[in-house]
Amino acid sequence: MLSIRDLHARIGVRKILQGVNLEVKPGEVHAIMGPNGSGKSTLASVLAGRAGYEVTKGTAHYLGEDLLALEPEERARRGVFLAFQYPVEIPGVNNAYLLKAALNAVRRQRGLPELDAFEFLALIKDKMKLMQMDESFLSRGVNEGFSGGEKKRNEILQMSVLEPKLALLDETDSGLDIDALRVVATGVNSLRSPERAIVMVTHYQRLLDYIEPDFVHVLSDGRILRTGDKSLALELEKRGYDWVKQEASAA
Amino acid sequence: MSAVAPSPATVHYRDAFERLQPVLGGGATRRAAAMERFAELGFPGAREEAWKYTSLRRLESRRFVPATAPTTPVDVPAAFVAQRLVLANGSPVGSVPAALGGFTLGTLRTAPEDQLLRVIGGGGTERFAALNAALTIGPLLLSTTAGQQSDDVLQLTLMTTGAGPTLASPRIAVRMAAGSRARLLLDHVDDGVHEHFTNAVLDIELGAGAHLTLYRLQRQGERAFHIERIETRVAEHATFVMRDSQLGAALARLDTNVSLDGRAAATEITGVFLADGSRHLDSHVHVGHHAIETMSYQDYRGIAANKGRGVFNGKAIVHEGAQKSNARQVNRNLLLTPGAEIDTKPDLEIYADDVQCSHGTTTGQLDPNALFYLRSRGLSEPEARSALTRAFAGAVLARVDEPALARHVHDELDRRLVRLLEVAA
Repeated sequence: MLSIRDLHARIGVRKILQGVNLEVKPGEVHAIMGPNGSGKSTLASVLAGRAGYEVTKGTAHYLGEDLLALEPEERARRGVFLAFQYPVEIPGVNNAYLLKAALNAVRRQRGLPELDAFEFLALIKDKMKLMQMDESFLSRGVNEGFSGGEKKRNEILQMSVLEPKLALLDETDSGLDIDALRVVATGVNSLRSPERAIVMVTHYQRLLDYIEPDFVHVLSDGRILRTGDKSLALELEKRGYDWVKQEASAA
Repeated sequence: MSAVAPSPATVHYRDAFERLQPVLGGGATRRAAAMERFAELGFPGAREEAWKYTSLRRLESRRFVPATAPTTPVDVPAAFVAQRLVLANGSPVGSVPAALGGFTLGTLRTAPEDQLLRVIGGGGTERFAALNAALTIGPLLLSTTAGQQSDDVLQLTLMTTGAGPTLASPRIAVRMAAGSRARLLLDHVDDGVHEHFTNAVLDIELGAGAHLTLYRLQRQGERAFHIERIETRVAEHATFVMRDSQLGAALARLDTNVSLDGRAAATEITGVFLADGSRHLDSHVHVGHHAIETMSYQDYRGIAANKGRGVFNGKAIVHEGAQKSNARQVNRNLLLTPGAEIDTKPDLEIYADDVQCSHGTTTGQLDPNALFYLRSRGLSEPEARSALTRAFAGAVLARVDEPALARHVHDELDRRLVRLLEVAA
């Protein structure tokens, strides 16, 4: 589904990704872990098409297509979803408008008819319940005045409405208390399916207690230094990241 | 005044006035004095502070013919509300009813000329207010009686039209008696056939405890020149509310001057302007706090695109003795495409020590993070830009509480933004 080969990217003169290789198949859940500044969020941003990053080398293919050649909205319509680390507050654009416009953009791409207001409401009601979000939220501005937890829940709600094929979760656990983390994890787990792949970027092992990954990768200095199963995350939690770096440079 | 010879344009209007004087209707002495004042002030020079960002060279190069006789306009846009009067070149079309939409109506035949033709001095547009007083042909007096409450809206559609380049001088005086309440909607349109010059004056007085909401829509054609002065005196505990939408004309200048004269007089002035194409839109707001516990709030949102240019000058002066006053100003500006320009100058002068004042001005582009967020959800770039631009104006548009007008402004902004953004993308 997602195939990243020798990906190099920089912001200005600062090199951030320095040869990332990653294969993600449908149904898999991957966790990308690493110390601060290792390039985790950059990887998610580059895959979603955020401006400001320059890919200097390498490729990223999604369902056989050159992902990096697509505009952000084209990626979204083809089923790539980025849950933001810092969801943006947009006063004056309400949540219902965004959700409906986003959903219909995806449906057009899939050759499905657009939903009218009633069908749309029926569809999101249950999903909102799952994310423990009140209906009044729909008429509020996008993320406007939301707490950190509400913002992250909103990201997962959007994801559940858009039903992406490839979900990229950027530090979705950051800033969440344990209850909010549980709600978010329940939402993500409800979206696990054999057709869908999930790539989570996270600093802490904590999230992985709730969303169990099939693969854990350690990203450091812009490269994936080690890949393992979920036991690798536990080892990282105990021993930190330095030993991975030392072993990698020794090899 | 320096004894500089009047410019050819000034001479043109003075000569036109002398020729037309016999047919202009009552108030000959006042009109002559007003024309003298106009000739004395002339067109603004390039160095005049009030015209720093707006050049009238183009306007001054034209020789508009002052409208003299009532005309019957064609293609008058539909009314937003039930009660409407159409004025063509400043003159009511058809007979003027005695009362309409919560107001009693008067004309030069029935109302005192000192109410209808007075010129209040000062500011950059005094010259044009004087020119208007000299040349206006159908000035209208709208008045209320003490305590009269109306939820109706009176719409005045002010249409400029003519077989050649025409100068229209509409003039409306509003006298709100103590404790009365009314709503007025001004809709400026034109026939779009020729370059016309609309030079409008509103002269408003609010008695104690009166409440007036003025909705204003300026949607003249691409070739129109529009200058307007709104002069408002607000007595104790009275409130003047204005909802402005400045969307049309090639060149428009609006001066809104509000004088808070009595204790606890208040004003709330909100507006939006859209300077797209090669439009030049200039709005000046001047609020004077002259009494204690007076309150003013200004919120203008400006959008400029292409070669459009916006100018905003918001001024509040809290005079000595106006203690416990509150003056707040917000001016936000959005430049949608490179090449557009908005010049803004918030201005607060405070001569009292126990007051609350604030002003905030921003000028910028759409937030790239918000744009990316919306696009990452599948919205196209024009959709995302248009949603953010509407949101930008939304806080001000939400205050237009006359539904048909609000819908029109909303749709008009939408239509033009989508067109503009699709071209840009």
